[in-house]
Amino acid sequence: MKPGRLFPSPLPLSRSGGRGRTRQGARELTAKRSFLWVLEYSATRTQSPSPACGRGEGVRAWLTLILCILTITPTLSANDLRWSFRKLTRPALPNITDATWPKDDLDRFILAKLEANSLKPVRDAARITLIRRVTFDLTGLPPEWTAVEAFVNDPASDDEALAKVVDALLQSPRFGERWARHWLDVVRYADTVGRTWNAPFTYAWRYRDWVIDSFNADKPYSRFIAEQIAGDLLPASKVEQRREQITGTGLLALGAMDLSEGDPERFKLDQVDDQIDVVTRTFLGMTIACARCHDHKTDPVTQKDYYALAGLFYSSDTLPGQANKSNLTGAMYVDPEMLIDLPTKLDEKVAPPTKLPQGIHSMGDIQDATRGVGGNAPPYDTDAHFAMGVLEGKVKNCDFRVGGEPHDRKGAPRRGDIDIPDLPRFPTIPAGESGRLQLAQWMTQPTHPLTSRVMVNRIWAHLFGKGLVRTVDDFGLTGANVKNEALLDHLAVRFVTGEWSVKQLIRSIVLSRTYRLSSDASEAHLAVDGDNDLLWRMSPRRLEFEALRDAMLLAAGRLKFERPHGIQVAGTGGKGNAGRPRSLLTLDAPYRTLYLPVMRDLLPDAYATWDFPPPTQIKGQRDVTTVAPQALWFMNSELAERIASDIGNIEDIHLIYRAVLNRDPASDEVADAQALVESAGWTALAQALMATAEFRYLF
Amino acid sequence: MLNRRHLLQHSSLGFGWLALNALHSEWSHAAKPSMVNPLAPRPPHHPATAKRVIFLFMAGGPTHLDTFDYKPELVKQDGNGKLLGPVMNFAPRGKSGLMISDAFPELAKHADDLCILNGVRTNNPGHHQATVAMHIGSEMFVRPSVGAWVTYGLGTEAQDLPGFVTIDPIQDLGGAMNYGSAFLPATFQGTRLGSGSGSVPNLQSSYLSSAHQRQQIDFIQKANRKLLETQPGHAELEGIVQSYEMAWKMQSSVPEVLALDKEPEHIRELYGLNDAATERFGTQCLMARRMVEKGVRFIQLTSGGWDHHNNLKQALTDRASSIDKPIAGLIADLKRRDLLKDTLIIWGGEFGRGSHGDNDPRDGRGHNAKGFSMWMAGGGVKGGFKYGSTNELGNEAVEGIIGTHDLHATILHLLGLNHERLTYRYAGRNFRLTDVAGEVAKEIIA
Repeated sequence: MKPGRLFPSPLPLSRSGGRGRTRQGARELTAKRSFLWVLEYSATRTQSPSPACGRGEGVRAWLTLILCILTITPTLSANDLRWSFRKLTRPALPNITDATWPKDDLDRFILAKLEANSLKPVRDAARITLIRRVTFDLTGLPPEWTAVEAFVNDPASDDEALAKVVDALLQSPRFGERWARHWLDVVRYADTVGRTWNAPFTYAWRYRDWVIDSFNADKPYSRFIAEQIAGDLLPASKVEQRREQITGTGLLALGAMDLSEGDPERFKLDQVDDQIDVVTRTFLGMTIACARCHDHKTDPVTQKDYYALAGLFYSSDTLPGQANKSNLTGAMYVDPEMLIDLPTKLDEKVAPPTKLPQGIHSMGDIQDATRGVGGNAPPYDTDAHFAMGVLEGKVKNCDFRVGGEPHDRKGAPRRGDIDIPDLPRFPTIPAGESGRLQLAQWMTQPTHPLTSRVMVNRIWAHLFGKGLVRTVDDFGLTGANVKNEALLDHLAVRFVTGEWSVKQLIRSIVLSRTYRLSSDASEAHLAVDGDNDLLWRMSPRRLEFEALRDAMLLAAGRLKFERPHGIQVAGTGGKGNAGRPRSLLTLDAPYRTLYLPVMRDLLPDAYATWDFPPPTQIKGQRDVTTVAPQALWFMNSELAERIASDIGNIEDIHLIYRAVLNRDPASDEVADAQALVESAGWTALAQALMATAEFRYLF
Repeated sequence: MLNRRHLLQHSSLGFGWLALNALHSEWSHAAKPSMVNPLAPRPPHHPATAKRVIFLFMAGGPTHLDTFDYKPELVKQDGNGKLLGPVMNFAPRGKSGLMISDAFPELAKHADDLCILNGVRTNNPGHHQATVAMHIGSEMFVRPSVGAWVTYGLGTEAQDLPGFVTIDPIQDLGGAMNYGSAFLPATFQGTRLGSGSGSVPNLQSSYLSSAHQRQQIDFIQKANRKLLETQPGHAELEGIVQSYEMAWKMQSSVPEVLALDKEPEHIRELYGLNDAATERFGTQCLMARRMVEKGVRFIQLTSGGWDHHNNLKQALTDRASSIDKPIAGLIADLKRRDLLKDTLIIWGGEFGRGSHGDNDPRDGRGHNAKGFSMWMAGGGVKGGFKYGSTNELGNEAVEGIIGTHDLHATILHLLGLNHERLTYRYAGRNFRLTDVAGEVAKEIIA
């Protein structure tokens, strides 16, 4: 698939004027320009002799567009476009009537909106509900029964008791695993390349583990960003630190490339496009990759800006462990010259390895090793010094490509010559440097209006089910408007001034009164705000596939907390049996789900059944569908039956309830459970409890 | 008066009545809205010529210039500049003389049943945008899919099968969004089936008898309904309650419907089930026919791999031959059973291909969204009919233009639904599948 082959924009966005003026002037111009653009668009479409307009489609098209814009941004005015680009300032705390309710300043922003709508927040959640909620939210696992009892019976105040629990959870290594998986959704993490030649990413797991470790260490988010964009260029005082930073650049090498693409220039540009897309959508919520072939249709990004940014990645070498296969006669399992050999001394020059060390590194090696022996295939040997990622390449500006066509070149904008109105100026890139370091600096400056807002919103979405901005990956004009702008800015300012600490932000949010609300719903509330946009309660949220599976394994006593060792993907991605890509870990492997290889296009059915995001997509917000195959999965899948059988072995109704639902049964439930056990057995009971909506949801 | 619990326990499918309340303003024609089962068949707005749809989706953007849109000028100009002439020969087919290429020899025998649409266009030649627009009518927003709208509008006649089924859908390019229900209740979203062995996974318990499993489900449902009482109107929880009843029924109905081995040999042969090249799509087609007989409202089949930037002739021959016989078999079989007349078959991808040779050695074609071809058959469309056209080189639709909104409006119209009246109120707005556009291609209606 070639997403880049777009025709030149039929929607010209005039970019003359506005450059080099004052910032205020630029902002007004932008607003005007965008507004003009809508008009211009309509004019183009209605006057164009294009046959598309012959039946009035053009008129409808612009009507639609205006309607859409008005729908998403009801408060739109000429000076009010792109709230997300506005300077980040600390909003004043709003006035509220009920000063006893808030626990944290953020609660005041919620309460002010509720009071303005004459709504009261519902009561706080019971401790037994809260412990399950917060444990899943912070670790992706249910609370152990001892933790439930300790919290429920804690004589300390609610505030103190909860703070104790939260601080312990934040220290748990499980925290990083939970939040790493959220991150991996956004950055299209996978263990295979996908598309036409689905070769393994033999060292993707090293990046995955780096993400986990970064969250566990509470690496400042600014640093977390910088290492992913320019980890190879950051100063380091120890060799371990340098190795770690380089590993972060794995982000840039995880793209789903078409390895059989025969045009090296197009291949390179596709790779650059993936890198621009992942960097700008992930960190900025901007869809800059839209401008590869034409000026952006809704946001103030020109095609020139795109190629000025492209130059940064064009000047870098991307080393995913797989070379383009179009010129190769044989397919290798791993191409060592496409990896990074991590330094063992601080001042060592970093470059790809020249060859693989001794050991099992290919399908051929496996065949040799198992010849005449039979039995299980040995795991691949991993090299402690190899990683996938990006290094500086031959530094040069990237030519502008007319219509995105790789061979239709027209001049080359200077690397970093990006002028997006209202965003900070891009630093000058010294000759001889790719500019990734400057990109990282630009994004992580405290005043950047998007970086902190986007991340704060992502965190909020994971804790409340949806973001304050619904479109978590799109803060542009096509994205949704913000529901509580002052709150978002309040959190963003705290995030930045709190030295970008993710843990600290999460801690503040889960200790807030808002987070502690019960999920009770009253008809009166539902009538006013059925979608709970105002957060008068905690919305029930369905657990992700990983949390469901991990909770099942845990309840059955099957879950191991170590990481599987090394590469768990077999097959070269080429033809024949040795080519067939496959995971060496199945769903009943004892590891947490995030450690199972993410095989592009080859995930087990259960992943799609439970809305696992397609790993070629940047997707910060998962879909939640409710379909019969989910019921069938609990009723009949091998995994559910096996787990149920293990849990059933407990042979005690109370203990089974505690293991599965993290609570004791009510007396009528005991009677029903007894009846079920008597006729259908203990396994049937354990399975039934896992199959309930209660197990699947956080309340 | 019935209380909520009573209704929950006694409505036939175990629906939450609140979901129905939410819907009943949309269904003013329903006599007793609170008793309506959302999936019950509902009368259309106007008399329908099609009762159900089979959408044959060709993911990747199949070429129109080498299949259904004959361009003599392109033949002449082959090799002129960057142009690539048709890689297949065209010939007039059937009594109607529709021009169809040799890519589809079997389908060509049914030319007189086909209504070829040569003026189709999508807005954006990117796979993702065009695919999503084709399925949900919007490139920019998550909206309900066509199948979800149709099921919402008409319910379904197959109560023990999903109303909307998608077989082997694409995993990316919008993925589940392409058969999702967005803001419509979850009950209207597509159920994904696989054509491989087993079809629907997890259809049978390995250890419980049917009676015991029913008892187990009753236990689950009791717990779910109790929970629902604390969460009135929670569509997802209502969806779970419903999903168990559906799952229970599917355990017996699905194997029955999908027991393709019960089909006589000549039918299996008709769909190409005995040939490795056609087996996969043939299986999809035969599954579709069996579901059509049961009254499933909207069935989507997907064939992938139509993105032929290179080596078009070989690639097209391979892909076309994998679907040609199965589709011809499906048409013939439906006709024989008198089901073609009210079953609308739609064939097409997210866009077509351009007249220029693409990558060196210029033996393939790039994306072309401004003009391409789809075809319909059955369901009240004219057979042996060609509607719309592209310019000389086939790059741009010039007549009988059908954009995605027009296509959707036309599909709804054939199903008896007025696309401007099929609305759902959400976030303060009445939403339509066709947004504020869409024109029915009346000329294609028989």
